[in-house]
Amino acid sequence: MDINDILQIIVSPTTAAFALAAIGLNFHYGLTGLLNMGQAGFMLIGMYGYAITISQGGSMWLGILISFVGAILFALFLGWPTLRLRGDYLAIVTIAAAEMVRLIGRSQWLKEWTGGNTGLRGNQFKGPFENLSPFQPARIVEIGPFSFHTTIWWLMLVGWVAVAVAAALFWRLNKSPWGRVLKGVREDEDAVRSLGKSVYSFKMQALIIGGVLGAAGGVIWAHGNAVQPDSMGRVTTFWIWTMLLLGGAATVLGPILGSVLFWAMFVFIKQLAPLVLPNLAPQQIEPLALAFVGIGLILLIVFRPQGILGDKREISLNV
Amino acid sequence: MRNADHAGPKARHFPLRIALLSTLTVAAITVISAVPAQASQLATEVADTAGGTETNLLLQNLLNGITFGLLLALASVGLSLIYATTGLSNFAHGEQVTFGAAAAFAAVTAGAPILLAAVFAVLAGGASGWLQDTVLWSQLRKRRIAPMQQMIVSIGLALAAVNLLQIWMGAQRVRLSTSIEVRYEFGPVSIGPQTMISMAVCIVALGAVGFFLQRTRLGRATRAVSDNPALASATGISVNRVIRIVWIMSGSLAALGGVLLALYENTSDFSAGARILLLMFAAVTLGGLGHPFGALVGSLVVGIVAEVSTVFLPTPDLKYAIVMGMLILTLLVRPQGLLGRKERVG
Repeated sequence: MDINDILQIIVSPTTAAFALAAIGLNFHYGLTGLLNMGQAGFMLIGMYGYAITISQGGSMWLGILISFVGAILFALFLGWPTLRLRGDYLAIVTIAAAEMVRLIGRSQWLKEWTGGNTGLRGNQFKGPFENLSPFQPARIVEIGPFSFHTTIWWLMLVGWVAVAVAAALFWRLNKSPWGRVLKGVREDEDAVRSLGKSVYSFKMQALIIGGVLGAAGGVIWAHGNAVQPDSMGRVTTFWIWTMLLLGGAATVLGPILGSVLFWAMFVFIKQLAPLVLPNLAPQQIEPLALAFVGIGLILLIVFRPQGILGDKREISLNV
Repeated sequence: MRNADHAGPKARHFPLRIALLSTLTVAAITVISAVPAQASQLATEVADTAGGTETNLLLQNLLNGITFGLLLALASVGLSLIYATTGLSNFAHGEQVTFGAAAAFAAVTAGAPILLAAVFAVLAGGASGWLQDTVLWSQLRKRRIAPMQQMIVSIGLALAAVNLLQIWMGAQRVRLSTSIEVRYEFGPVSIGPQTMISMAVCIVALGAVGFFLQRTRLGRATRAVSDNPALASATGISVNRVIRIVWIMSGSLAALGGVLLALYENTSDFSAGARILLLMFAAVTLGGLGHPFGALVGSLVVGIVAEVSTVFLPTPDLKYAIVMGMLILTLLVRPQGLLGRKERVG
């Protein structure tokens, strides 16, 4: 059992990236009650928009812009047919659209840009961001129990600052009149409509903001790993849902706590499994840890739907 | 029971007609193309060695699409029945399909012949449906947990099940039958005997489901529950018993679908069902969520579109992306699906 591994995963860029995506989902589900089952699709759109722009010779800022515009267009495309329909239609369309993005991304058709099913390697798009790093010269730096390369320290700094900004944005918007309308939509659409608000437009705004945060999470994730379409399948969306529900939907810190706990538990179970079950083959450890994620999600919904920080009255889920 | 039938006799038989029509189309294509094949086998062989013509490819893909559509219908009819009776979009249904293939594989490994293994898989699938409803879903209904929350529970179940299946089956691909398939040539198309048997099994099983829903007392009760559970309960139907039976049926049909799919694709693995989950959702949504025959019509459309589109697409690996696009378009123009009634959509 290595406590350092758990500490490292807690601060890692992956955790920050998923926290961002979970804050995005919090705008959808926690605030507005939208069942977006395609958050991984938003992440994938974000990382493709960013990485393809840079690998084709664009600047980093253009890459970020295109990644956000891509997420906005994707939200418009998803919301257009479904936001007028019952909640489960949005769930099915978002999951289908996210899968469509993955299938097109991994297809041989656009291999020249997307790299097909192998995706894009880090050296094709990470350069401009890493050159901005103030931590020079590039080497491994040890602070307390954490030992990372300077490029990872730089990424972690940017990633967690982005998480803090997103959480502050959620906190501010949640308290604003705009946020109250969204919560009204979540609780009773017809009541909000009777006050003369355009429910459709408010839902669309929430979908766009959450989607852009998902795209930002995708960019951070791609920097920590690479652009891999198959690691952004629907299971990834389900993880983000588990994080949000674990931490507590409709709370400011819930998604962050959820992401941290999710990854810490994941590493913990992976380390614990061989000690408890010595007969387990090495390739069976990861599926076992993921099976626990599923069981955890069931137990959460049944016994504590509000998560750790949430308020039960806020989570009625009768969409 | 008038309630379930108020669409009138004409509308009621419409899905049956579509199913009959598609079956007849398959039969017609095979018969028509078989005639010249017997008349001039030499010509066919020449055409084959030439690499096949455009019509050839199109018809072959159409046949593949119908076959795949029938398999998909068998796998997804349970998804539709569960949605109709309980309002739950069951994301763990893909794992039900995989479970069928896995159970059959376990039986084959233990030395059972494939037929016995298939029967075992169907029984095991039904048992898993019964067990799930007893342990999990009926309890959630009792606690009055909303269908949307139940949907997230089913996602958790899917995550747990797919990983447990991976631990059980391993990550490698498995085969149910090691025999090499011969293929019969019927003019421009070819088909293996195993596939023909699979198609026949699909048609018989789907016919049985149709008969059950339309003609038996319990089937009518099932339709009544899907129409209005409170009213059905008031007329003396035991809603929970009907739902239990729907879960058992759904589990066994999905298992049968899984076995036939494994035979059709000649291989299976722990994610075989998860791969077709979204196709099943596309099929039942396209046909009309909760409509008993929607799954059949939707599955045939999905199967045919997926296979025929490979002829026109720049790369064939986009065929499922086309289905996903079609699903989104359907919801845009006709959200209630092909057979659904408008009032079902909120």
